[in-house]
Amino acid sequence: MRLREAWRARVPLPTSVVLIVAGVYLALKLVRPVIPGSVILLYMGFVIAGAVIHVTLDDGRIRRFADFFIDASARDPGAIRAQRWALLAVIPLLLGWWVYDALRPSYAPPVEIFQRHPTVGEEVLKRIVVPAWAAEPKAWRPEDVATGKRLYEANCAVCHGEKLDGQGLAAEAFRYPIRPANFTDAGTIAQLTLPYVYWRLNVGGLQNQFNSAMPKWVATADEPDASSLHTNDLAPDEAWRVILYLYRATGFEPRTSEAPAAEHAKH
Amino acid sequence: MLAAALLAAGNAFAQDSVAGADYAAVAGIDSRLAVWIAAQLHLMFAAFVLAVPMFALFIEYLGWRAERTDRVEARRYDWLAHEMASLLPVAYSLTAITGALLGFLLFAAYPKVMRHLTGVFGPTFVVYPLFFIAETLCLYFWYYGWRRWQGDAKWFHIVLGLLLNIFGTIVMFIADAWATYMMTPAGVNESGALVRLYDAVWNPGWMPLNVHRLVANVTFGALLCSAYAAYRLLLSDNARERALYDWMGYTGNLIALFTMLFLPFAGYYFGFELFAFSATYGVTLMGGVLSWLFIIQAIVIAVLFVGAAYYSWLGLLRIPGSEAQQRWSPVFNVLLIAGFAVWATPHTMAASIEESTGGFHPVLGALGVMAPKMIAVTLVLVVLYSSYLLYRRAGRVPVVAWASTGTRVEWGLVGLMALTIASLGVYGYFAPAHIRIKTSIWQIYVLIGGIAVTFALDQALLRGARTIAAVRWGTMPRRGQYVLVLLAAVIVWLMGLMGYARSGARLNWHVFGILEDTSAEAGLPSLGEAALVITLITAVFFALLGVAFAIAGLAHGTDERTLAEISPEAGLRGDTR
Repeated sequence: MRLREAWRARVPLPTSVVLIVAGVYLALKLVRPVIPGSVILLYMGFVIAGAVIHVTLDDGRIRRFADFFIDASARDPGAIRAQRWALLAVIPLLLGWWVYDALRPSYAPPVEIFQRHPTVGEEVLKRIVVPAWAAEPKAWRPEDVATGKRLYEANCAVCHGEKLDGQGLAAEAFRYPIRPANFTDAGTIAQLTLPYVYWRLNVGGLQNQFNSAMPKWVATADEPDASSLHTNDLAPDEAWRVILYLYRATGFEPRTSEAPAAEHAKH
Repeated sequence: MLAAALLAAGNAFAQDSVAGADYAAVAGIDSRLAVWIAAQLHLMFAAFVLAVPMFALFIEYLGWRAERTDRVEARRYDWLAHEMASLLPVAYSLTAITGALLGFLLFAAYPKVMRHLTGVFGPTFVVYPLFFIAETLCLYFWYYGWRRWQGDAKWFHIVLGLLLNIFGTIVMFIADAWATYMMTPAGVNESGALVRLYDAVWNPGWMPLNVHRLVANVTFGALLCSAYAAYRLLLSDNARERALYDWMGYTGNLIALFTMLFLPFAGYYFGFELFAFSATYGVTLMGGVLSWLFIIQAIVIAVLFVGAAYYSWLGLLRIPGSEAQQRWSPVFNVLLIAGFAVWATPHTMAASIEESTGGFHPVLGALGVMAPKMIAVTLVLVVLYSSYLLYRRAGRVPVVAWASTGTRVEWGLVGLMALTIASLGVYGYFAPAHIRIKTSIWQIYVLIGGIAVTFALDQALLRGARTIAAVRWGTMPRRGQYVLVLLAAVIVWLMGLMGYARSGARLNWHVFGILEDTSAEAGLPSLGEAALVITLITAVFFALLGVAFAIAGLAHGTDERTLAEISPEAGLRGDTR
């Protein structure tokens, strides 16, 4: 208790608040790999809201906070006066810097909100027919899965990794906006239905708006003449076998509409 | 707005000459935007006029029951119910005006959709206005007959209120059938021709949306009533009146918080059914184009809960001698902020090239998934509940012989509840998805069970407790009232956001999989544009609500004699905490 009194006498409430807010900010900034600015902004919003709530929890605290600036006296100890002037200078300067930083021209591409699973129309998915031998996970033949494994290792593992963890040799080259998918993460194939995964494998990303480096692997009925680096590398049946392998190797089951796992399993 | 409605109506008739047109431009405005705004405004007023009679009737019933035991309390409850109901007549008119505007816009700008809907739901279009008229009659007789049907005739007034609620609920259920049919159509063949009306009404999304809206409407209505109470308190310079409105704001907030606890489950039920209908909904809402709305939703919900908690901590200031309880507020504040920071952490971050680690952050990515979020949000609920327990204890001294042991056991159980919830979450984090879902359900069971046991214990502990300092209603700081207004604004905005998510999830379909939207405006706006429209809707809603508040305030005031009799200042018998 005595320690608390001594602290209060030397460090008035406004200084404590600024120190805590600044301390949290610095701690977040020091985390490696860096935390994106958008997330730091979110956290700081919460922290500042918490600080405002703390100061306004009772009238005494509000008075202590305001009096530090308003009820200034020449008789105050030098350390207190120094803190007052420091805060009066630092707070507007910081706000000014913030405004300047937000408005100054920047040549960096805008921050993107990445969608994990690009949205696809119902009409597109409806057209994708899952072959009978691939539709029911319990009936998947080991030889199809084995073929899928061979095809995966030959075509996909270089980016997605032999362990399907998104850590392939070429993965580092595709850092932005997202690395190759980590299929062992419950946020990827475990969330998706078979037609969706097939669509993703074929429509890919590089050639369209989905902003990923994933090539198209099969020429779909929509675009029979499509040609890109890997188009036609896989026949449709081969693509299905790769998908079967993805699920078997990770232990996940494809989502089905009839027995949905909880939506909130992962964002 | 009326002018716009008339204009739209005029255009609707003008367009009849172009028979067979799928879409028509109405007065050169963006039809999709206009329908969006009109529909959301209509929905908000409709939610309000549906919800307020629910809890107003319940409060009126409580007053009626208290008549024999405590006349002052009975009159106070009756006053509160009437005060809440006083907002209804104007809000009802605004519901009708916005509804008419929506109807005109839909028929004028989307003839193809309305032809289809009329073909499927024609009979319901006839029944709907009949129930609407019945609801209107009940509302006006219930509200304007308040003074007349008191005393021995009170039962009749209660029955009227009950009928009002029943008709209102039916009206909402019918409208929900139209809205959910567009999302999860049933009862029609592939070309959209009606096969069975019953199936079209009872489509997969119908009951989940009914349940979700019923609960959400009560939260929404209660927070708006609290905002009204805050508005009246801030304007009043009469101490007794301030005391009553303080009590009203507190009661509204308590109703809202209580019903809010059920909302995630109702939302989950709705989402579950949507996904069962089409996996596209699951991807669109949770991983695709609309998934960021749920991050925004998480932040807005955090604001809602933190605001409600702040209000309850400020509430301790109206209880003299509650310093022991007030000491905990800063601790709870830190826990709540930390909990919500975890709750709102996105799994996939928005990052610049320099910041990007390829989607998942190795440290924070772990917080972005379900298990830590469930720990955080459930523990936040434990903290909120603990705040409430402290509020109940403030100014009161238990007199039972086992008070000291009982209090220790009570708080020990709260601690155990928190520990169990955290342990289940940590276990779930490392377990496969299907087990994780079960552990999260168990966390909720532990929370509900823990609250039930400790609340029963608290009731027993406080039986006959000595009140050393009664609540001094009306002495709450003004900032507490601004928080109530903020909470109302936040819930309106949140409702706009989720309304957009529900409707936007259909993507390029008027009726999902049956009737495609081929209009020029089909397409989702950007996140920022959507947020701006939602904010505009919120602003317009509050402007109109402000008019309703002002009119309700003009229409009646509570006379000094009644105030003197029923104001909590005169001593609140039977502590309502």
